[in-house]
Amino acid sequence: MTRQRLLPVLLFAGVIILALIPLGLDPRGYEMRILCITLLFASLGQAWNIVGGLANQISLGHAAYFGIGAYTSTILLKLFSLSPWLGGVIGMILAVAFALLLSLPTARLKGHYYALATLAAGEAIRVIANSWADVTGGPVGISVPYLPDGSLWMMQFSTVLPNYYLFLAALVVICLVFWKIKSGALGYRLRAIKENEQAAEVIGVDTYRSKLIAACVSAAITAFLGTLYAQFQFFFDPDTVFGVATISVKMALIAILGGVGRLSGPLVGAAFIIPMEEMANSYFGSSAAGLSQFAYGAILVLVILLNPHGLTALFAQLRDRFTGKGGSHDRSVA
Amino acid sequence: MTAPLLEVRGVTRRFGGLIAVNDVTFDVHAGEIVGLIGPNGAGKTTLFNLLTGVYPPSSGDIRLEGEASGGLKPHKIARRGMTKTFQNVALFMESSVLDNVVTGGLLNNALPEARDKARQILDRVGLSAIADVRAGDLSFPERARVEVARALCTEPKLLLLDEVMAALTPAEMEEVIDLVRSLRDDGTTFIVVEHHMKAVMKLCERLLVLNFGELIADGTPTEISRNDRVIEAYLGANFAKKQASQPVETA
Amino acid sequence: MQNLLTLLQTTIDGILIGGVYAVISIGLSLVFGVMHIVNFAHAEFLMIGMFIAWFAWNYAGIDPMLGAFIALAVTFVLGMLMQRTMIKPILHAPQVSQIFLTVGLLFALENGALLLFGADYRSVSTGYQTQALTLLSTEAGRLFVPLDKLYAFLMALLSGGALWYFLSRTRWGRAMRATAQDPMAARLMGIDTDKMYMIAFGLGVGTTAFGGAVILPYITASPTVGSQFVVLMFTAVVLGGLGSVAGAVVGGIMVGLIQSFSALFLPIQLMNLTLFVIFILVLAFRPEGLTARRRA
Repeated sequence: MTRQRLLPVLLFAGVIILALIPLGLDPRGYEMRILCITLLFASLGQAWNIVGGLANQISLGHAAYFGIGAYTSTILLKLFSLSPWLGGVIGMILAVAFALLLSLPTARLKGHYYALATLAAGEAIRVIANSWADVTGGPVGISVPYLPDGSLWMMQFSTVLPNYYLFLAALVVICLVFWKIKSGALGYRLRAIKENEQAAEVIGVDTYRSKLIAACVSAAITAFLGTLYAQFQFFFDPDTVFGVATISVKMALIAILGGVGRLSGPLVGAAFIIPMEEMANSYFGSSAAGLSQFAYGAILVLVILLNPHGLTALFAQLRDRFTGKGGSHDRSVA
Repeated sequence: MTAPLLEVRGVTRRFGGLIAVNDVTFDVHAGEIVGLIGPNGAGKTTLFNLLTGVYPPSSGDIRLEGEASGGLKPHKIARRGMTKTFQNVALFMESSVLDNVVTGGLLNNALPEARDKARQILDRVGLSAIADVRAGDLSFPERARVEVARALCTEPKLLLLDEVMAALTPAEMEEVIDLVRSLRDDGTTFIVVEHHMKAVMKLCERLLVLNFGELIADGTPTEISRNDRVIEAYLGANFAKKQASQPVETA
Repeated sequence: MQNLLTLLQTTIDGILIGGVYAVISIGLSLVFGVMHIVNFAHAEFLMIGMFIAWFAWNYAGIDPMLGAFIALAVTFVLGMLMQRTMIKPILHAPQVSQIFLTVGLLFALENGALLLFGADYRSVSTGYQTQALTLLSTEAGRLFVPLDKLYAFLMALLSGGALWYFLSRTRWGRAMRATAQDPMAARLMGIDTDKMYMIAFGLGVGTTAFGGAVILPYITASPTVGSQFVVLMFTAVVLGGLGSVAGAVVGGIMVGLIQSFSALFLPIQLMNLTLFVIFILVLAFRPEGLTARRRA
């Protein structure tokens, strides 16, 4: 029970520290960019964690939602000068629509089959974005129109500092959503589905509906993060925002490294992997294009081989050792 | 006489070429404790799965409180008031005992009420002491009890118990029998699959006998224990012939 | 007449390329059938096979059709080592571990190749690349079989036949099928299932590498070439039924035909879209495969 009280305190302290960090940094500097990307990917990992962690639906196609969000708001901004806030909401709606469409053939799939189907769905959207050049600009990519007098309403700023606080706010909101789901009735239902789907049905859990709700929430969040990303990067192409490696697997990897299904998982995972990747990229530059992704692959393989039966337990074991708590049934609680 | 709680009419289930349940018809009235017995592989668990919607029947009608329920998904049938426990125990193994039971309670309650209800039920079935233990860490008899508690928390009108007394000591069996009786007195109806004949004969007022997927007898325990087809099914044709000359001792 | 010729030519092209898809998919299906693991990294062995054949051609002047045997031998050993060190520990692990181990392997192999060999495209030149066998010549057009595709198809046929012979006629092949069906019973009968798993994985990736090598005359090798084949490989396998080796052959030829026919109607970028959609629908409605009657 002490943990129940300790957790909010820790999180609150964490947010305060994160809010204070930029004060010591150059607001146009490279470090700020790394911090922004880290926060973004922590949020993405948490969004994935809702389906991948709580419902055990291993999605390898979340880039579809991310790209839908990024493209929707950017295209609407280009064509109609629509505020990215509104464009982002429309992107969320489209992403939910796609999640619903995808759920028709995939809701009953499990494990490997679900992973394969979502992988193909994400790739299908990437192919469409690449070939529908009239709207998306095709493989050459798309630029967010530059507005000299930036504003919060148009989500454009002269430094990345406001972006940083937007990313931080998004992360806090998404973590709250995750926690609300996890500790609420839906969390119980998703845990039941994860641990024994048939038994869950028989005692009255509408497994289809529960998974659908989780998928839609996750899709909507991921899409809005796509909009935030577009307004931060100003330029992107289909292979980046719809990429299996750049988005779909990275989201999952971040959640898994930090502890799948845990609130803290994506935070730990992103803090570990994103700065490492960004630094490797800036250090080695284009001379070693595949290095960071090679490292991803190698780290994934190593982490799994170190403890194949309990990805969730890796960081948890360290923590339990640290706090002197040995209980094994604690594993499922947080 | 009131309408039956459960009506089963000509229910059949095929798996490929195998007929697991064949043209089964019976009624269960509110307040009954009905035993469902039969040799291994007779189709008892399959029948439970058909009633609770785990599989749809290949043909036939199932009605719960007069409304067709055959072919509905399990959660819809649970909402109508029928659920079951699993023969091989299908708990949420990583969750605590309390959380397992709470999940059942969410069918008809918001989370805080489901928690209260789950605690009451754990009290009633005598599991309060282990409420916070992970289900995967329990012994088999404990798990079976948690199965019952989780199912009870859905507030069923009709609860199907699939071998919850397996591996219990005689004293523990007595406890379960008392529990089922007191729950019945509070308004729950039961169909019970059990291999332990003495316990079945003691607990149930009426027995259904399945053999090779067919319902071969339906009657009171005394009637059933004298039924030639039942004796033949259990002990083989030769034994039945031998017994025919002698009166059968009732259990 | 013209239409009929186009139709026939499309069918020939589809079957020729489909035969190769069949061979590269057989390996994937074998791995799933025996170990019940979906190997997301499988297409990377096609890339490795292509590179081995390219190096054999470039430095020793060995034709890719022969280099394919070197590719098979090397990846067979590599596959057995990988199975022992990486796949074996996750055979009974949760699916999330199984999925991400092979996904991690995919990234490591693809980008490892990028670091080692650079992003350049590498192709071979052979005498038969530009030649074709004319089957029919009329004033409306001609019907022909490109030699490089024909040779690749024949090699695919050869390796598929050899694998079939191994699985159905040899003692080890039967032991492997017994392991696939019921590892516990196989162990009780004295079959070394661990060894069977190793051989199955080695053979699986080896067959796919072999398929990669024989298509080198008409597809250029690069570290990312595997990603072009992932979806069609998985589509072939699910069309035929995950784990069914014979099904993978049918599935591979179906994918070849779907591809060559959709190229008639759709722009080249959208060609794979048809496959994606078919893939998802088959997974959803017939995960046991279109050709399978009942899984044993």
